[in-house]
Amino acid sequence: MSSRDVILAAVRAARPPAVARPDVSMLRGATVDLAANFTAACVVAAAEVVTSVRADLDSLIAAAYAANGRQVSAMSTTSEGVTRPHSFSDTDVFVCEAVIGVAENGAVWLPLSRLRYRAALFLATNVIVVLDRARIVNDMHEAYRVVNVAEEEFGVFVSGPSKTADIEQALVIGAHGAKSLTILLLDE
Amino acid sequence: MSRTLTVLDSAPVDHAANAAAFNENEARVDWHNESLGLMRAKRDRAVEQVPEWEALRAVASSIKEHTLSHLDEYLTMFEAAAIANGAKVHWARDAEEHNRIVHHILVEGRVQYLVKSKSMLTEECHLNAYLEERGIDVVDTDLGERIVQLRKEPPSHIVMPASHLTKEEIGETFAEHLGTAVGLSDPTELTAAARIHLRERFLRAHAAMTGVNFAIAETGGVVVCTNEGNADLGMALAPIHIASMGIEKLVPGPAELAVFLRVLARSATGQRVTVYTSHVHRPEVGQALHIIIVDNGRTEQLGRPDFWRSLKCIRCGACMNTCPVYRRSGGYSYGATVPGPIGSILSPGIDLRKYAALPFASTLCGSCTAVCPVKIDLDAQLYRWRQIVVDAGLADGFKTVAANVGARVLSNRRWLHGGGAIIRIIMKLIPMNVMRRLSGSWGKTRDLPVPPGESFSSWYRANRPAKGPP
Repeated sequence: MSSRDVILAAVRAARPPAVARPDVSMLRGATVDLAANFTAACVVAAAEVVTSVRADLDSLIAAAYAANGRQVSAMSTTSEGVTRPHSFSDTDVFVCEAVIGVAENGAVWLPLSRLRYRAALFLATNVIVVLDRARIVNDMHEAYRVVNVAEEEFGVFVSGPSKTADIEQALVIGAHGAKSLTILLLDE
Repeated sequence: MSRTLTVLDSAPVDHAANAAAFNENEARVDWHNESLGLMRAKRDRAVEQVPEWEALRAVASSIKEHTLSHLDEYLTMFEAAAIANGAKVHWARDAEEHNRIVHHILVEGRVQYLVKSKSMLTEECHLNAYLEERGIDVVDTDLGERIVQLRKEPPSHIVMPASHLTKEEIGETFAEHLGTAVGLSDPTELTAAARIHLRERFLRAHAAMTGVNFAIAETGGVVVCTNEGNADLGMALAPIHIASMGIEKLVPGPAELAVFLRVLARSATGQRVTVYTSHVHRPEVGQALHIIIVDNGRTEQLGRPDFWRSLKCIRCGACMNTCPVYRRSGGYSYGATVPGPIGSILSPGIDLRKYAALPFASTLCGSCTAVCPVKIDLDAQLYRWRQIVVDAGLADGFKTVAANVGARVLSNRRWLHGGGAIIRIIMKLIPMNVMRRLSGSWGKTRDLPVPPGESFSSWYRANRPAKGPP
């Protein structure tokens, strides 16, 4: 018998008494001001939130990191070309647009199609995420109803810049990934 | 149940002796206790902000019980979906088979440099040593894990692997291995040095290994939660990704996943969610995705009516951060891959003789059960394991004698009254510093009470009202 069949047979023999699949559809927190809650949650996660309108997008990005090293934008109409992911290791600023934001925890959903250059999100020193203010959901329950997480090869919820507390539980921003995360919360 | 237990030949863990050694440095014990208490406090603040917390715990618990009670169906559902997604699925009965599969994948891919993100399963399988013996360069990339790897130590905590070390000790380790300035102990500067050191390892790696926090049966995807971004750097850069998971990591679908993501980080560190919650469903063009599904004793635990619920654990570490014993005895005192209350109900199922002391490394205060986000009845399972340890004749000899004497005396009125009288006399005659030594470890840090002149029974006989209460 293969290991697969041995394990499955052992699982079948060991099955505890059946427990019904619980209904999770009723779980949702009270909806309040989504943008205000989202912004407050971002602050807790050490992300910066800038509120503006989409027409100002280019000037906002320029203002955030004016002529500051290599900038890679997944929103750009021009492509970086097909390159090894390693080639993004000198990225100073990476810009991309999220599908949704989650008010309860300040996370934004970034699937591969929005990242285009997956490695750049993690290699870049600073990350700017654009989010349409109308695309904020209340909590993770709603997030998984709105987004199909299996649609693409890869997708990630990101909440704030990378951090660690592995040395004496002291919080340090910028472990291996981004040292700063700025959310541009835009009205259309 | 005891017939299904494996009793292997190995040196038993002496938790009490290990804890005593840890307690020799009182300042360090205080520091350790307080720093983990801080994590408990952070967890409390996060939980207080979620009014539906108890409903979330209840649902999280039922989802896990449902999944475990249909685990064969969910495993095959997950496998079929993952294969359809383009992943290669492997099955490993035990640690040896798991390590062999990993090594085989690495040899086939001509991998010399491997980066790993945190995975308690690979710790359990002792994978690093296995691969290093075969010439693979293995680098743990979680900061805490890298620190203990450089020191050739195992993790002492499942969420914060280096939580037993001071920043000065970590500074010494970095000075030795990373060339930082001698005396540097600032956490920000040490983290910056580790970032540069590990960035170079990420860029040269041929393969990345990750653990799996959750595996989604309906979609065949694996979810990895980190704060540092180390799992993602590994996965995004290396052409081969190997994800190892225990069979208990499954959740039915994305709707259920949402529940666990709401409780995991809040319970672990007091964050609302981890910085990166990565969903891997398909390999990117030019990449290979391997998923290894591991049993290694889990099906045995699943078959134990009193203990199968221990497999609900999502490895948040909240039970450790709150445990008065863990906080004052340190992670290493348990001598097991997973320390603390959850480890003490998992480990005896792996090797009863070796881990016989662990169910006793608890005050049975129930604080672990109160904070567990999936409502594992940890204190009840600890108590049940004690009974099994005693029945198997593996209990500490002194405890067995004391318990037998206690049972005999307490079940006989004459013995109880006579014994009480004798002890009152002895306590009056023998000086306190001698008594303290006779009272065993209990008296090491405590004074015994001043013995009363008479027993309550005799006092009551003399003082009770003639009829009825006054």
